[in-house]
Amino acid sequence: MRVIILTWEFPPRIVGQLAYYVNRLAVDLVKKNIDAHVVTYNSSWVGLHQGADGVKAYRISDKVRPQINVLTWMLSLNQEAERVIADIYYSTKHEGNLIDVHDWHFIPAALTLKRALGIPFVFSLDSIEPHRSRNSAAPLSSSIGSIESSGVSDAQRIIVKSEWMKQEVKHYYNAPDDIIEVVSPDSESWIDGVLTAYEKGLRVSVN
Amino acid sequence: MTRQLRAVMLSWEFPPRIVGGISAHLFNLSRELVKLGVETYIVTCDFPGTPEREVVNGAQVVRVDSYKTPSPDFATWDSLMNVNMQKETAALISSLGRHVDIIHAHDWLVANAAIGLKHVFRIPLVATIHSTEIGRRNGLHTDYERMIHQTENWLAQESWRIICCSQYMTEHVRWAYVLPQDRMRTIPNGVDTTVYGKEFDRAEFRKKFASPEEKIVLFVGRLVYEKGAQTLVSAIPKILSRVNAKFVIVGDGGMKESLMQQVANMRLAHKTMFTGFLDEENLRKLYQTADVCVVPSLYEPFGITALEAMAAKTPVVVSNTGGLSEIVEHDRTGTKVSAGNADSVAWGITRILLDPGYANWIKLNAYQKALEVYDWAKIARETNAFYEQVLKEYDNGSWKPT
Repeated sequence: MRVIILTWEFPPRIVGQLAYYVNRLAVDLVKKNIDAHVVTYNSSWVGLHQGADGVKAYRISDKVRPQINVLTWMLSLNQEAERVIADIYYSTKHEGNLIDVHDWHFIPAALTLKRALGIPFVFSLDSIEPHRSRNSAAPLSSSIGSIESSGVSDAQRIIVKSEWMKQEVKHYYNAPDDIIEVVSPDSESWIDGVLTAYEKGLRVSVN
Repeated sequence: MTRQLRAVMLSWEFPPRIVGGISAHLFNLSRELVKLGVETYIVTCDFPGTPEREVVNGAQVVRVDSYKTPSPDFATWDSLMNVNMQKETAALISSLGRHVDIIHAHDWLVANAAIGLKHVFRIPLVATIHSTEIGRRNGLHTDYERMIHQTENWLAQESWRIICCSQYMTEHVRWAYVLPQDRMRTIPNGVDTTVYGKEFDRAEFRKKFASPEEKIVLFVGRLVYEKGAQTLVSAIPKILSRVNAKFVIVGDGGMKESLMQQVANMRLAHKTMFTGFLDEENLRKLYQTADVCVVPSLYEPFGITALEAMAAKTPVVVSNTGGLSEIVEHDRTGTKVSAGNADSVAWGITRILLDPGYANWIKLNAYQKALEVYDWAKIARETNAFYEQVLKEYDNGSWKPT
């Protein structure tokens, strides 16, 4: 299995908790002999390739600057993520690929890659817009919410970290119970739980 | 031997959704490409009362959800619309077994979707750049404008080759995004002369706009600064001192109120008529009925309204700017005046209205030029040859998936 992780933060670019979590995930996947790739936003502190401990990191950068808000920024960064993943796809075998999208930022790329190249994806939700935003009905926030919603309805599997979050995702996005996997990062069998969710994601037909 | 080509065009507008000039451009170009054997798909925004899939003059039209949830501003809406457009076009291309030869984008409004599709399928992307932000705004003044400019730049850099509709635009786009000459190709916009061939009761139609003794001076365009309606309005008193005329101004825009105020202040409201947006049929009849059509633009990448008047056999007065300057040769296919200069505009209009022999000579030459140079069938042949050239380079390269 080859796992391509999409995240907008990855060390040394640290915005919140997600960077640490995704780093731990990628390193542990490599230990399990998974071919782990991380596609993330550029940090000017490091080069373009190779994270720690055998993780293959690709750091994409802006093609359009300036940007007027987080949406126009992310939505024009997605094409670079698509380009990098397509490059991985066309240079190696075409089967056994799985995309793991962390939060909403690269959901548009996942939606397209699934339809274009048949690559299934799981949606790992660290947080959701209704929790982050003080006014989730405001246009910017509801637009982010609509991207989260299409990620939830399109993903082969959804991974959350707690039973509470599972209920929240069900509540806000009408997700069916049986596609949400609760995998606690505190659990000893955490990485095995993630791998089980990945395998389920891979087994579901993309069509 | 040439292969049967399959092209997917991306555009934010296609009839009946008409916002600017791209809609008519694609309507005509796709019809003629189909006649040449190009299997043509058009992916565009949805529109009330239109089906998701339909065949229009042989072209497959696919309408996608244009994202109707409120978004903060136009550019953000466009980014969100592109998410849907890219996703749906990816599904379309997959359903065609990925056998698509060309992705053809029209303007920055579909840049995100087009660039992503190019990479995931590794299909060559070409773009027609119809106008630029730096041209529309006469410079870049805000982050919003700079973002759109950079999006256009991104589309230009990602495109295998770029089409512009006039020599003026080709040079302007080369300058704006710093592009080499060999990436550029000039293929003009066209005009369908046959739609102006239908007969109708002109005298009766004319009554809606002017009295029999008034000549009709027609302006068609958005009422924004760059289109120069204010120059025409300033020229009205000078024209009226020589010839009795009615000034019919078709179109809407932010300057409408101030233009109407301007004519009211001159006490000439009774000599002008602001029609607002006109439907296609009435607009065609008006082109045919007018005695002169004036295009006083300050910025004009192409100048389709001048071409439409020429096709309708109405003499044109145009400013000597941008693409207009290429369409019209002074004293042969029209009268050229100085852009932004009301005295010059008044001179040009008066001359045509007072000299029927000259007006006749101009309009017949202009009609002939519209027939020969701006024929959509010819434009489609050039576009098809352009596709063939791109594909030849693509086939010989190493980027194509094996």
